[in-house]
Amino acid sequence: MTVMTPLIEVTLRGLLGRRRTILLALLAGLPVLIALLIRVSGGRPDADRILDTLVVRTVMPLVALIVGTAAIGSEIEDGTAVYLIIKPIARWRIAAAKILVAAGLTAVMVIPAVVLTSLLLGRNDMTTTLVGFTVACFVGGSAYAAAFVALSLFTTRALLLGLAYVLIWEGVLSGLLEGTKFLSIRQATLGLAAALGVDVPGEPLAAGVSVAVLATVLVGAFALATWRLARFEIRGGD
Amino acid sequence: MTASPTAPAVVAALEVEHVSRWYGNVVAVNDISFGLGGGVTGLLGPNGAGKSTLLHLMAGLLAPSAGRVLVEGASAWRRPEMYRHVGLVPERETVHGFLTGREFAALNARLQGVADPAGAAARAIATVDLTEAADRPIGTYSKGMRQRAKLAGALVHEPRILLLDEPFNGMDPRQRLHMMTLLRSMAAEGRTILFSSHILEEVERLADSVLVVYAGRLAAAGDFRSIRRLMTDRPHTFTVRSSDDRRLAAALMADASVFGAELVSGHVAIRTADYDAFTRALPRVARDGGVTLFEVRPTDDSLESVFSYLVRR
Repeated sequence: MTVMTPLIEVTLRGLLGRRRTILLALLAGLPVLIALLIRVSGGRPDADRILDTLVVRTVMPLVALIVGTAAIGSEIEDGTAVYLIIKPIARWRIAAAKILVAAGLTAVMVIPAVVLTSLLLGRNDMTTTLVGFTVACFVGGSAYAAAFVALSLFTTRALLLGLAYVLIWEGVLSGLLEGTKFLSIRQATLGLAAALGVDVPGEPLAAGVSVAVLATVLVGAFALATWRLARFEIRGGD
Repeated sequence: MTASPTAPAVVAALEVEHVSRWYGNVVAVNDISFGLGGGVTGLLGPNGAGKSTLLHLMAGLLAPSAGRVLVEGASAWRRPEMYRHVGLVPERETVHGFLTGREFAALNARLQGVADPAGAAARAIATVDLTEAADRPIGTYSKGMRQRAKLAGALVHEPRILLLDEPFNGMDPRQRLHMMTLLRSMAAEGRTILFSSHILEEVERLADSVLVVYAGRLAAAGDFRSIRRLMTDRPHTFTVRSSDDRRLAAALMADASVFGAELVSGHVAIRTADYDAFTRALPRVARDGGVTLFEVRPTDDSLESVFSYLVRR
């Protein structure tokens, strides 16, 4: 753990620059703000719907995208990654630290939004909503974050590709092509939430499949990130 | 020679064996071989010659396309544990701007697994003469201070091998002198130090031996004085404008230092094999012939032409 601590610290400090923190807070605050407006205006309280459409489909993947692609991607881009690479540290530790920070920060941003939205808009079954979405968002957000950390090690366009995955693949295609649902972290997150008793629209993935998808993404992303880091090349200036 | 069982074979700190590195169709490093032991070695070459690529290959940051790089007898590529004994100062300026110099050095010490990171950081900061600015964010540092912060980060674990990519960039003369003294004293302790530079004078002042790289190839290697002699003794070309080019050309052809003079429109192009002798002879010959010199200009004195000559040699 002694080497993990400075890795985690420097990643956190690098990620929590003022602009990025404000952007993340604004994103995470959006569902809470909307819940508050619904509450104040006397609208129909439906935490499940807001958490599904706003948090699981939008805020969670976007927060994970911003944090995940920057956890090591920004260090690769600005050249400071070299100071991690030239250290006698097992590459799996670097991958683990980056994924831990990205997943942890995603959870820190998303879970309070889930809790506050549930409290503001929850009905009789508020506990089910709160627990179901909290657990699902924790696991789903971690899977997204891990996938985006790994992606940023393979391409400098991770942010763009990640956005395309969230908006185009998950937003459009996986809804149209029923058989591709299992390739969607969002669908697996919703499947997990449904397994925990949350009322999810449509036909969610089965609990076992959802868990398998999320576990595969987490483990696969960690393995890929480790593999890539072990072969990571940094070009010279000429 | 066969090594006796009791005497372990001496392993060069760094060995580069027929190493090439290419990117698609572009060959950045072309079949280079050499070995380095203790002392300061300068890696000299013009910008774009392949110096950084070669240093990155030695630092295990790039895989050779062909050949192999050995650090203390084992491959440099995909062997993170070698960084316990290797320090690298990369050329790129960027350092975590949100950290202070001291925090950066301490971070490097902690990532190296040094027993007393704060103490190691303080020692490294003092060594590079950065104590006064140590508690300021690196984002506020000048280029020279960043270079020293990078060096402090590379020294925290007291590496046996130190690789520095253009370490004097952005340093003022006083900082440069301090850095040179420091590197020399580290070399005197038996460390292997390799630094790259495109400035001949830097290499001349610091290096015991030199590797000259040009267009991805090793143009020359060895003792600095012999390479300097090669550079000085090569054919030189001068452009001379005078009050009577024809008379000057004829007079110069009689001088032993000159082996060619050509009248070109508006000037004389002179070829000499002895730079010093020619520059001493020219004013004398002109004065004796009653010719006034308007302009004397070496036409091939760029490092590019020097390196190009060494490769062709």
